[in-house]
Amino acid sequence: MPTLEYLMYGFRVVFIPSNFLWLTLGCFLGTVIGMLPGLGPATGIALLLPLTFVMKPETALITMCAIFYGAMFGGSRSSILLNIPGDGSAVASCFDGYPMTLKGEAEAALAISAIASFIGGLISSVAFVLLALPLAKVALMFGPPEYFALMVLALTATASMSEGKILKGLLSMVLGLMVAMVGLDPQSGVSRFTFGNLELQGGIDFFVVIIGVYGLGEVLKNLEKMGRKEVMQPIKKKFGRIWISKEQWRRSIVPILRATPVGFLIGILPGAGGTIAALMSYNIEKSLSKEPERFGKGAIEGLAAPEAANNACSIGAILPTFTLGIPGSGTAAIMLGALMIYGLQPGPLLFEFYPEIGWGVVASLFVGNVIAALMNLPLAGLLVRILAVPPKILYPLITALCFIGVYAINLSVVDFYLLIVFGLLGYAMRKFEIPTAPMILASVVGRKFEQSFRQSLMLSHGDFSIFFKSGISITLLILAALSLIYPIVSGALKKRRHAI
Amino acid sequence: MKVKLAVLIISAMIVATVFAEVYPSKPLNFIAPGGPGGGWDTTIRVVAQTLKETRLVTQPIVVTNMPGGGGGVGLAHMQTKKGDPYTIIVFSPPLLLINLTGQTQYSFRDLTPLAMLIHDYGAFAVSKNSKYNTISQVMDALKKDPKSVKVGGISAFGSMDHIQFLMAAKAAGVTNLKDITYVSFQEGEHLAALLGGHIDVLSTGLAEVTAALQTGTIKVLAITAPQRVHGTLATVPTLKEEGIDAEFVNWRGLFGPLEMPDYAVEYWINTLSKMVQTIEWDRVVAKYNWTKAFMPGKEFMNYLEKVNEDYKVVLKELGLYKGE
Repeated sequence: MPTLEYLMYGFRVVFIPSNFLWLTLGCFLGTVIGMLPGLGPATGIALLLPLTFVMKPETALITMCAIFYGAMFGGSRSSILLNIPGDGSAVASCFDGYPMTLKGEAEAALAISAIASFIGGLISSVAFVLLALPLAKVALMFGPPEYFALMVLALTATASMSEGKILKGLLSMVLGLMVAMVGLDPQSGVSRFTFGNLELQGGIDFFVVIIGVYGLGEVLKNLEKMGRKEVMQPIKKKFGRIWISKEQWRRSIVPILRATPVGFLIGILPGAGGTIAALMSYNIEKSLSKEPERFGKGAIEGLAAPEAANNACSIGAILPTFTLGIPGSGTAAIMLGALMIYGLQPGPLLFEFYPEIGWGVVASLFVGNVIAALMNLPLAGLLVRILAVPPKILYPLITALCFIGVYAINLSVVDFYLLIVFGLLGYAMRKFEIPTAPMILASVVGRKFEQSFRQSLMLSHGDFSIFFKSGISITLLILAALSLIYPIVSGALKKRRHAI
Repeated sequence: MKVKLAVLIISAMIVATVFAEVYPSKPLNFIAPGGPGGGWDTTIRVVAQTLKETRLVTQPIVVTNMPGGGGGVGLAHMQTKKGDPYTIIVFSPPLLLINLTGQTQYSFRDLTPLAMLIHDYGAFAVSKNSKYNTISQVMDALKKDPKSVKVGGISAFGSMDHIQFLMAAKAAGVTNLKDITYVSFQEGEHLAALLGGHIDVLSTGLAEVTAALQTGTIKVLAITAPQRVHGTLATVPTLKEEGIDAEFVNWRGLFGPLEMPDYAVEYWINTLSKMVQTIEWDRVVAKYNWTKAFMPGKEFMNYLEKVNEDYKVVLKELGLYKGE
């Protein structure tokens, strides 16, 4: 089997000392960048670009990929420990990761996050090797109408996830969509809801929304309890080993295996991204679970699924970059740029003409995931100790971190005000028991949702039938309708059963 | 007390003059008004790297990304830096376009042009299986029915990718420019949209089509350069060769803030003119398939005045021009 031979050749490339060293360094750098709110893999790779001029192309690409998935490993650390997601794809890790920490299970949460990321990454690497070309073609079938249908599904599925409170879920979603509308409209170049403020023209960075609603919102919620005795105690004083119990493993493995293909497939689609992958897999687990009421209260499977999905997504995003020359995300676009600087042609021929690059990178996905997992377990043992910090020091520290993180994105002072607004909004939403997830997702995908709708209609000259012309978009729209109807019907059925 | 104050003032003045003589004496702040990986980002990072490698500038150079508003956010930031000799920003045609379309009140006249460095060009591509084999065929189809060809690009409606196509269409004799469908793809789906048949023509930069051309998935019908370029795209004809009398230059250059001190302006014109003569610069220019186009301060300003009028004509025709 030639594929296996090539892969072995790839492994030999990876284990050349200089490549291995850079791979390890890339994983480390990615983890650190992922942990710092405000810095994402795109920034990390851009910073590295000048350095890569002196590297061999395969070394450079291996390092960049390592930063990419290293960031997925690191991004959820602060979600779990502090309820501040390191980036968009780590939002879903807050839902059950932080409650686990509050329950005193931070070690297990950190362990499952590394393990799930590892398994998700590993399986996706195998899929990459076996299915690269046919899967890349899937990406081409997605045009504006299909993207629109996908966004509709992602939004309705997340909104309807808040069972019994569908209206509140939809309200939250609309809030998020409103946030996403702010800024320059790319299809017409018109400013919307910017109130003449130039800094708002770029739109509200969804990251400000995330940090405000989660990070600052959390601090405000705890402020309420200030002065009472139990809050003055640190969250945790004794620390166990970073590992999980057999029972936790049993609960997590199936969700991990389900979330991986979801994340991988969404990753292949250019412009969909890790946030959707993680939230979709979370929705799937919650709707399939026999005890959905455990979700949001520290269910380990609710953390395992999005963690596996976002890492699988990052590897999926590399696939069309290498096989078709179509970047699946901003980060992948920078990698594509690097490929071209070396005069390399992405595509199937890359693997033929430059096997050391194509297969070296593929093999590095396997090795890199092992390194990142091994690195993250002991690192988690150190990080978890932040919970021993007394709240009167920890919360001011988190507040500072929120502000620094937000400033790091755009170096804009306007973002400070927005941060405070979204912090208060997050606090209010918690008070009124309005779910925050639909708003976050809507603020992340809102632009894409609107743009793909407008792009479709521009292409069809205003004819709405374009949304029902391909099997993909029809299927996705039907699923979206079902996701809204299902909880209503099942709720009604439950009521009737109770009545009888 | 008074003596002390006087001494302080005098020493401050001495320090100031010494500083002026050894400018730059502090780390420099380079700004890319777009996100990481884009054209502006690449250009300014490469300039910073070359200045460092050639030791033309020994002070550290910090590159900051300030994306948003198609460059408008960076432009607004420069207005807060009036007279600062340490802040420098990179710009290209959108600097003029976002002002002409009324997205920002600031224009190139609110900056101090230091030097134009390179020319990059646009390219028009179709999928491998497209029925179009030359740009003239595309234009003929548009002349018959301006709605029959769907054009896509990366930049927003009324910005670079859109305007370069319309300038070509206008020169080719297409009349209803307003009716041509233009869809903007800003999240990296532009190539997928072309290959998947969701759009017919992709109007974008040379760098964006190079890789796809090498893989053989697309045909590049024409480039907007005055002459053919080297490298992979050497086989692609220019618009002029195809009988369309138009060109579109994606010039990129460096700017200081308004009221930048003369010594700093002079320093940068000198330093950059030295930089463009180094082998290191030649190497990166070749790497990115750019064309060297050094033009110092005053000349650059005159050039900007001229192209600004050119863009205005096209934008007026589209009804996008928001000016007097």
